[in-house]
Amino acid sequence: MGLLSIIRKIKKKEKEMRILMVGLDNSGKTTIVLKINGEDTSVISPTLGFNIKTITYHKYTLNIWDVGGQKTIRSYWRNYFEQTDGLVWVVDSSDLRRLDDCKMELDNLLKEERLSGASLLVLANKQDIKGALTPKEIAKVLNLEAMDSTRHWRIVGCSAYTGDGLLEGFDWLVQDIASRIYVLD
Amino acid sequence: MEDEEESLSSNPINGGTQSESLDRARQKKHVAMLERLASRHQTRLENSLKSAETDSSSSSTLGFESTSSFLSRFADSRRSIEAQIAQCRLTNPSESTQLKPQLDSISASISDLEKLVAENSYFLPSYEVRSSLKAISDLKQGLESLSSDLVPKKKFSFKNKAPKKEREKDPSIETNREKEKEAEIGKPEKMSFRVLESPGFRDKKGEVLVRRFSGSEIGEFTISDLDSCEVRLMGCVRALFVHRLRNCRIYGGPVMGSILIEQVEGCVFVMASHQIRIHHAKATDFYLRVRSRPIIEDSSGVRFAPYCLSYEGIHGDLQEASVGEETGNWANVDDFRWLRAVQSPNWSILPESERIGLINISNSDNEAEEI
Repeated sequence: MGLLSIIRKIKKKEKEMRILMVGLDNSGKTTIVLKINGEDTSVISPTLGFNIKTITYHKYTLNIWDVGGQKTIRSYWRNYFEQTDGLVWVVDSSDLRRLDDCKMELDNLLKEERLSGASLLVLANKQDIKGALTPKEIAKVLNLEAMDSTRHWRIVGCSAYTGDGLLEGFDWLVQDIASRIYVLD
Repeated sequence: MEDEEESLSSNPINGGTQSESLDRARQKKHVAMLERLASRHQTRLENSLKSAETDSSSSSTLGFESTSSFLSRFADSRRSIEAQIAQCRLTNPSESTQLKPQLDSISASISDLEKLVAENSYFLPSYEVRSSLKAISDLKQGLESLSSDLVPKKKFSFKNKAPKKEREKDPSIETNREKEKEAEIGKPEKMSFRVLESPGFRDKKGEVLVRRFSGSEIGEFTISDLDSCEVRLMGCVRALFVHRLRNCRIYGGPVMGSILIEQVEGCVFVMASHQIRIHHAKATDFYLRVRSRPIIEDSSGVRFAPYCLSYEGIHGDLQEASVGEETGNWANVDDFRWLRAVQSPNWSILPESERIGLINISNSDNEAEEI
């Protein structure tokens, strides 16, 4: 009871979810969002700033914040942490050289208190590219098993190019958030 | 409420015009309805009387859609909640058995108050809505601080904060430990990467490196740690990674996905792609055809010009990678280190007089010919 129940009630009314998409540059965040929304993905410039997409997904309204991943603007990610229900961490599975960077940035993100309640979906993107690491290998490199036991997380392999795996990932994310926030009275 | 009553009083008249057989059941319904409405009216009257009693100064009749009546009701509830919070604070924390229901009832009244604002927000001036919401959030904060002060600690876990404080106290030890941990984790992983290395050209000096991609091996390709080399790539590839080059010339067929270039100096690139990202480049010329805007970051002295490559079958490859047409994007460079309207000092358009001509790399045995 108390504040939490009030927050739950308000959220229940709106059936809204706030989802933050982050990851290194060139990982395919914008392409994923556009692909899910059924938009053209053939011309996408590297994101300077951020994009917001509101998508109706099943009976929920997803507010997806797609924030640019270039090094210069990563420090601005923190401006988007507030009230995030779901965190999507996108990995370029074919970029082996920068997996260390990727792990470091993710670790920093997960230390963030404002994101401590958010469900984490790791998308191992670019599975269609020959030579990409499998989701299992990515999970090992990112050391996901060692994560705080209170975190709800899952890794899904996907391809923003073909669309494979995207729905599987978002289905899990939305279900997980729904079961957490919209608990039946 | 007057509307409801009017529509109700008009109902019996309508009923009178109906046939007698239907009437009896209807009348019963009407009577029941009348009773219900009367009782509702009664409770409403009582409520308004009550609120009138508590606030003698306000005009006692509470009309709908009146800002002043809303404000007086809001102020009453607010005062009573504040009084409850203050009272709670005064009572001895040891009587905690009563505390929880008390806190719950306060939080319920706060949410009632919130509802009141929401219900009336459609006619209230926006300033009043804002100030009411502010007042509500103040009340919530008051309640929160009250409950965190009074309720036994274990119910409110500050577990996340505790280790953070420790870290703040002693940063040197903690970061060292973290570094060690990271190093431990990092070592075996790096070993496994070496085994898994993707196709590419690496660690060469002063060589001409040629690769022709055929349909079956479309994937990623890496060019790294080259010094004074010439690289010729023919055919389509899905992704290209370029890292640590000095004084090289890179001539590439189309990349269907993205190109990522990092730490290059004194090079010439001729490439076509969907996306191009350039990081830490110095004194390098790029001849590009890109579907989207190229970006540079932490770079200086980089210059841009249009694509100028030729080899046997390049037209088919360019079509396949959807870069068959010139987009003009080679000149639309975004500098992430220069987020202003004026031209970035880090890049420029290569003057036509200094551009190289069309490069033909068909004959891969010889030096690339400039036509």
